[in-house]
Amino acid sequence: MSVPANVRRWLKLILPLLLLLALLFLPKTDPGDNVIRMLFLTAVWTTTSLAWNLLGGMAGQVSFGFAVFFGLGAYTTALLMHAGHSPYFGFIGGAAIAALASFLIGLPTFRLRGPYFVIATIGVTEAVRVIMNNLDITGGSSGYRIQEDGPFRPLEHYYTAIAAVTLAVIVSTVIASSKFGLALRAIKQDEDAAAAVGVNPYVSKLWVHAIAAALTGLAGGIYARRAAFFYPGDVFAFQTGILILLMPVIGGIGTVWGPVLGGLVFGMVEEQISVKFPNLHLMIYGSLLILIILLEPDGLLGLLRRLFRRRTRENPGSTDADKVLWGRSSA
Amino acid sequence: MRILSLRDHFGRALMFGVVFLILCMASAAAQDTITIGVVLPTTGSESKPGLYQKEGIELAIKQINDAGGIMVKSKGKKLKVNEIFYDDSTDSKKSASLAERAMSADNAVAVIGGYSTVLGIAESVMADRYKTPWITTGAGATAIFGKGYQYAFGSLSPVALIGTTSAEFLGAMIDQGKLKKGLKIAMVVENTDHGTDYVTGFTDWSNKHPGYFQIAVNEKFELGATDFSSILQKVKNSHADVFLSDAHLPDYITMHRQYLQNGLHHQMISYGARGPEAAARQALGAGTDYIFAGIWWSNKLPYPQAKKFATDYKAFTGHDVDSWYAAPAYDGMRILAKAIETAGSLDKTAIRDALKKVELKDSVLPGQVLKFSANGQAEYPFVITQNKPDNKVDIVFPKDAATGDPVAPIPNK
Amino acid sequence: MTAIEYLDLLLKALLLAGVYAAMAVGMTVVYGVMKIVNLAHAGFLMLGAYFALEMFQRFHLDPIWGAILAIPAFFLFGMIVHWTLVRWLPKSDTPTLASLLLMFGFWLVLQNMGYLFWGNEDQSILTPLTLSAVHIGESISIPKVNLVVFAAAAVCMVVLQVIFNKTWFGRSMRAEIQNPYAAKIVGVDDERTSRLTFGLGTAFAGFAGALLGMLYSFSPDFGRPFLLRSFVIIVLGGLESVSGVALGAIVLAVLETFSTTIPFPWYHHGWNYYYLPPSYQPVIPFALLVVVLLLLPKGLASLFSRRWKVA
Repeated sequence: MSVPANVRRWLKLILPLLLLLALLFLPKTDPGDNVIRMLFLTAVWTTTSLAWNLLGGMAGQVSFGFAVFFGLGAYTTALLMHAGHSPYFGFIGGAAIAALASFLIGLPTFRLRGPYFVIATIGVTEAVRVIMNNLDITGGSSGYRIQEDGPFRPLEHYYTAIAAVTLAVIVSTVIASSKFGLALRAIKQDEDAAAAVGVNPYVSKLWVHAIAAALTGLAGGIYARRAAFFYPGDVFAFQTGILILLMPVIGGIGTVWGPVLGGLVFGMVEEQISVKFPNLHLMIYGSLLILIILLEPDGLLGLLRRLFRRRTRENPGSTDADKVLWGRSSA
Repeated sequence: MRILSLRDHFGRALMFGVVFLILCMASAAAQDTITIGVVLPTTGSESKPGLYQKEGIELAIKQINDAGGIMVKSKGKKLKVNEIFYDDSTDSKKSASLAERAMSADNAVAVIGGYSTVLGIAESVMADRYKTPWITTGAGATAIFGKGYQYAFGSLSPVALIGTTSAEFLGAMIDQGKLKKGLKIAMVVENTDHGTDYVTGFTDWSNKHPGYFQIAVNEKFELGATDFSSILQKVKNSHADVFLSDAHLPDYITMHRQYLQNGLHHQMISYGARGPEAAARQALGAGTDYIFAGIWWSNKLPYPQAKKFATDYKAFTGHDVDSWYAAPAYDGMRILAKAIETAGSLDKTAIRDALKKVELKDSVLPGQVLKFSANGQAEYPFVITQNKPDNKVDIVFPKDAATGDPVAPIPNK
Repeated sequence: MTAIEYLDLLLKALLLAGVYAAMAVGMTVVYGVMKIVNLAHAGFLMLGAYFALEMFQRFHLDPIWGAILAIPAFFLFGMIVHWTLVRWLPKSDTPTLASLLLMFGFWLVLQNMGYLFWGNEDQSILTPLTLSAVHIGESISIPKVNLVVFAAAAVCMVVLQVIFNKTWFGRSMRAEIQNPYAAKIVGVDDERTSRLTFGLGTAFAGFAGALLGMLYSFSPDFGRPFLLRSFVIIVLGGLESVSGVALGAIVLAVLETFSTTIPFPWYHHGWNYYYLPPSYQPVIPFALLVVVLLLLPKGLASLFSRRWKVA
């Protein structure tokens, strides 16, 4: 199935818009609370996937520490709402605090290369978790409960999440096709060579980290508002950090739509797996991960591409997965 | 057409799998049954108590269904209970999500679940949101109740009462002359709501009865620690008379092992709600002798219904009841059944109203009556059990439930 | 606290260091040679503990024998895992995300198998030795189990040192650690060395797991706190030497144990001495990690980054 280039470009623009319209009008068909809930979760996780992909997929810096931003977004939103502000102000506040934290974390850690950066991000997450467990202002280990007046409006949460994920997609697309995105890809391929041609890797990394953190903090705040309860052992957990990066990897690292697919699969399918196979869901999850890593590093997006466009391994669709997953430039 | 490689097969299989799972989302509810959602951890760190609670609930459901079901006046007949169980892996996000799923997609008339405080709080949010009665059989912290929630109930007595009852017990020992007044207490509790409530309960009693106790050490530790040397040293240096801790099972085992290895000795020792667990005996042997615990239920309670429960449980699951976990879950399900019957319909608000008033008169729990107080939490007395040599356990307090004499102070080896 | 009490704590810290060293050795070896951060290490620790449990319950073998038997069993297991899963990972001189995620996926599978075989009970191994201690004077007590574990860990490290220096396999391992490309040029069989290394790392993990099973209670998701601590030890001590692991383990154990006992001055309405509350103890390894990484990025990094560029 070969589609002429100009038709393809037109499709690339129109299909996402159609998807957005479908999502916006879905509630009119009265699909039930459960579907709205799952789509909400999907949207939240897709936002974090896209955010992580900015740093990990485009710039090649693998961070296990995005749980910090998610949690900070949650706590900031909760505290601001408690102080009487509107939740939307809370979301923006959450994004801002997360971005600020990303500078604090990035300034020292981006000087580190390779595995050191990864391990440092794990360390920061754990340290933040224990500190938050002990701080009384934020409720300590008992967590924080958000009280909101008025009835529960699932659609309001739903639309907020859709707005967030739309923002994330727009930001990703803009960065991917901009000079900044080119600089990030250069850093990913070879940091020293990039520096040699005039890119400032340190500053670029800091900026993309901040954008990614802001989006993640936004997602954290939106999630927190609907869940109305969270505690450090949940939002700042090691597992949350791994979850946030698993989705873009499974979906297809480096591209814009890969993380969307990853978030979709996770939001819709993971719960199904743990419900249908309660004793086996860890094994299914783990085996899926192993199979994807070994057989299709381009993730589900790569699989889809292969199925619909007959691309073979010898003619890879993207070199991004190769670089980020395997640490090499594809031959 | 090129030859399909392994990758292609994998790809297609994956696509089919994903589509299949998404299509499976619609769960067909059997007609003419009462759907009850159960959300408990059977994997993850709280998997063991979660499993015991699941067994307690399922035993109750089996007994109800064997008798034909619950009589629902509005339908004019008895309806069987259809249990939908979800494992939340000790993850509060999942707990909340799965409770929502049960309340919305599965149309459960009630949800039972939430073992441990944080999972409980996460699920409690959903009760009022979906106007579905929710009973927690495993979370006893007061933080969950009393916030004006209308649909949240708990069959566990407040944790603070463990501290208070422990203090009462020690006070009674002092009054009987077995221990001296002005006991120095070292308290080392886990950094959670459970630990905080325990300390509050104890110190409340102590403040109301001045002269009995002096708190010498009051420290918190993180869950899952591997080394308690420095805390235990602090305890040693305080020259306390009594050592009180509140911990989860793995920490209880680790801390007590190190306690014994360090040659520590106190006149009385307690680990909060932990003491007679079989796993602790396995790990510590005779080291668990004389530890006392304030627990929600014991298989030593003399009530006939408690003994019957223990026998039925063993027949149903193949193993003995371990500590208190299954009993509040069993009674939680039974009181729910009674409330549905009293309500006469499957309307969730009617069931909620019934839960507020109903009393389970043949409860296996101490006091033999289970009812929810105004804020939704049950309140019934705790029993203090003490481990005795040769794997025996006795209820030692309150006196009218006692099966043996308390040993105080603990004899020196 | 008196000097004797400090000494007691110091001895406890050293014993703890023995435990930490035992568990970190397996991960270090795999990382050094294959540049794989083995997240499944926690799963192997868990299996080692259960192996010792089974030996204890079925054959009434003292867990120390269980630990010794674990070595060949897990060596074989490790080689099988390598042959089926790990060898497909491409070689690289820095750890790749693929290896991290592959091992993480495998860890999830191991956990699930643990739940399926053994249920979710907390298990422990109790022997007459477990609760007894050697008492020196009033304040010093040394638990006997910890002594046994320390001795076992020490023997383990000596054996590793011998393997490194005296055997051909050890020399190929060291060659790979220093420079995998050059090693290939001088004739080191990469495939075989990797397989043997992974087997060795798994064997050490199983051994350490059995030892840990003597000390702590365990269930199928045992191992996570040890995994994170192993990371810290690897970074602290460097990768390629056994003495590095020992050093890292000692630094971590001493810092953790003493963190709540050393007063530090803080200004809060006047200078005062404060003690770190015990609930902050888990921050210590990670704070240490971040500080070390920041202060010595070049120092330790020069051991890590083998940026060998083919000219």
